[in-house]
Amino acid sequence: MSSRRPPRGEYIETDTGNKVARKATLVGTQNIMLGGKTVIQPEVMIRGDLIRTIQASSQSASGAAPNSTAVSIGRYCFLSRGCCLRPPGRLYKGAFTYMPLRIGDHVFVGAGSVVQAATVGSHVHIGAKVAVGEFAIIKDYVRILDGTVVPPNMVIPSFSIVAGQPARLIGEVPEGGHEAFELRDIYKTVGNNPQPAPS
Amino acid sequence: MAAPTPYTYIQCPCSDVSTLSHPSDPNSPTGTEADEDDRTFDPRAPRSNYSLYPLEYLLYCEDCHQIRCPRCVAEEIVTYYCPNCLFEVPSSNLKSEGNRCTRSCFQCPVCIGPLAVTSVETKPDPRLLAPDNIAAPHSGPYALTCSYCHWSSTEVGIQFEKPNSIHAQLAKLRNGGTTRLTAKERKERRRDPAHRSATTEGEESGEQEDLDLETQFANLKAFYQNQLADPNSADSGLAALGDLGFSSPTSLSRIMSIYTGGSLQDKKAKSRVGAMREALEPDEGLQVANLDESAAIEQLQSEGHDGTACTAQRVDQPPHLGEEHLHGRGRFTSELRPIPYLLRTKRSKRCPICRHIISKPEAKVQTTRFRIRLVAGSYIPSIAIRPLSLSNGGGSASGAAAVPGALLDPLRPTHYLLTFKNPIFETIKVTLGAPSKTPGRFASKVTVLCPDFEIDANTDVWDEALKEGGGGGGGGGERDRERERRRRKREEGSQSNNNHNQLEVGKIWERGRNWVSIVVEVVPASLRVEAGDGPLREDEDVLEIPMFVRVEWEGEAGGDEVGSVPTRDRDTREKRELAYWCVLGLGRIRQS
Repeated sequence: MSSRRPPRGEYIETDTGNKVARKATLVGTQNIMLGGKTVIQPEVMIRGDLIRTIQASSQSASGAAPNSTAVSIGRYCFLSRGCCLRPPGRLYKGAFTYMPLRIGDHVFVGAGSVVQAATVGSHVHIGAKVAVGEFAIIKDYVRILDGTVVPPNMVIPSFSIVAGQPARLIGEVPEGGHEAFELRDIYKTVGNNPQPAPS
Repeated sequence: MAAPTPYTYIQCPCSDVSTLSHPSDPNSPTGTEADEDDRTFDPRAPRSNYSLYPLEYLLYCEDCHQIRCPRCVAEEIVTYYCPNCLFEVPSSNLKSEGNRCTRSCFQCPVCIGPLAVTSVETKPDPRLLAPDNIAAPHSGPYALTCSYCHWSSTEVGIQFEKPNSIHAQLAKLRNGGTTRLTAKERKERRRDPAHRSATTEGEESGEQEDLDLETQFANLKAFYQNQLADPNSADSGLAALGDLGFSSPTSLSRIMSIYTGGSLQDKKAKSRVGAMREALEPDEGLQVANLDESAAIEQLQSEGHDGTACTAQRVDQPPHLGEEHLHGRGRFTSELRPIPYLLRTKRSKRCPICRHIISKPEAKVQTTRFRIRLVAGSYIPSIAIRPLSLSNGGGSASGAAAVPGALLDPLRPTHYLLTFKNPIFETIKVTLGAPSKTPGRFASKVTVLCPDFEIDANTDVWDEALKEGGGGGGGGGERDRERERRRRKREEGSQSNNNHNQLEVGKIWERGRNWVSIVVEVVPASLRVEAGDGPLREDEDVLEIPMFVRVEWEGEAGGDEVGSVPTRDRDTREKRELAYWCVLGLGRIRQS
């Protein structure tokens, strides 16, 4: 590598291959864990500041270091423009606290969606303008179509296709559709020197 | 409603009329054979709706070497599980408990959102939701609440004493909170004369005892069984029906007389029919219908249409649990009960012909792996469609016409790039056939510029990289090297083609490691409706091209093939071929 600084691109590319747009709003970055190769597009908001204020009893008793991860994201995730990741919150033992939001690998979040789930599995496609309610649990290989409202506390089992307000199971992911969830190709198409999508 | 254009659907051969009518008939008359060869697949035919699938939905049977669709595979249930708590339900439970979750998983009857157990008194009690609230004192009663539409089970008067085993508690409750008798209790109550007299006397409504649905049915059943068994009320024929079924000759003659219209009926039997009487008392199961619907009318007036339950909501309701009587039940949303979650299944799929399993998921609910998953996408080439604009001979496959979802201009030649990707590890030879005019009222002209081409094998990406880096390496056999040389040569040919960038008949547009792009020229039809013809029907403006795809390759001969010699590896390679119809949906034609 030459010593000359490369021109400022639209994205910041980290050592682990994350591509974070300069125009993305990441609050509380120290509480946001990125697994690598994750794309965060402009105008994305991740609320890492909403950390858990009350530790689980087992943790506080053992005296371990408080786990302050608010949002953890796996590898090859794609957060489209204008989406928002927000840890869910609720009353716990009489006091309000946020809980961490965990997202697996190969998770696509469409433009303008708000995700407040407790867990999002791997290979999940969340469409555009979707609202995922607080403490929803989305398992692996789930497709949420555009405009869906997933009610709070809903559990979406694997291989479901859901849509509607509130979300309703409308189909199952076919056996041949598993590969369509892979986001390795789309990862290459964004960044400071994007490659064209393979035809 | 516009489909994401462009798209490719593949026809499963199971619905092909020619294979259905005479499967593998070698000596069929030649006249019909030629007829079938000429027949083109019409994607607009009403039947086509049921046979066209996107590639992802198709499976492939390795033994029959044929495509299998969701309609023709035989499914077998591997696991039942609740979609909410993700607990597996053993099939023995299924027989006794039904196909719904018997834990505490419920859906909102109004909006089908998930219901959560919350304490009624202190508005949603935080302690309840916590996972470790063993020490915390519980404060009942509890109710099921929907966090989406804020429905609460208190609306139908249902509250629970405990926050767990809601299903068992709910089974004992009617709407309004009155207890529903279990079968055992009902039996005891019927036997107990003191209770019976007490209720009949205590009924302030007067002469009629109020029977709930189950009690009424039990009483009626007991009464009719008594009637049939009682030797005094009826003689031998009827008694035999109740006791022994249909084994005695008298009962048989009675049944015969029913069907033969009285010709076998003797006078004796006639007198017997009248011997049975109907229920007259509540003890015998008589329940006078409550025809007074003024309350329902009043409610309808006050609540209006919004207060009534829609058909979908009523269908979701568990039958005969909420109300005491059959009359006037389930009309209003205020009478709807929580719905226990319907169980979901994991299913394995078998080939309908050879019964081999072609898809089998792991039995555990939480795992997403498959033991067997033979999807068509790893056996037949995928077809991707891309509009190709040749503005001022530039040739780059982009431009104004490439906007997805744009309408096609009628009578203007448009070019599309079809990219075939070979998923198998053999070189395949593809032959395409498309009718020059699409079927239907508005025939668009179609020209496949290169209907015959070869696609190189889907070699391992690493093999490729090693070969190119190490200059041949030496790992690949002679055959591979020869193929590589051939590929290079072809690539050069296509490159020169690219430079010229003109549409040449019989030339491949572009070629890659395991893919080939060809050009299809389409002249969309004009959608002008002639005088006297009907108006434009729904989706008649969609331009769909039926295309027959024939794939040939040399595969390893399987051991089960007749006449194959497994010892000589090189010679056991055999020609394979697969042919099917597919539909290329290009988009909608602009209406002039």
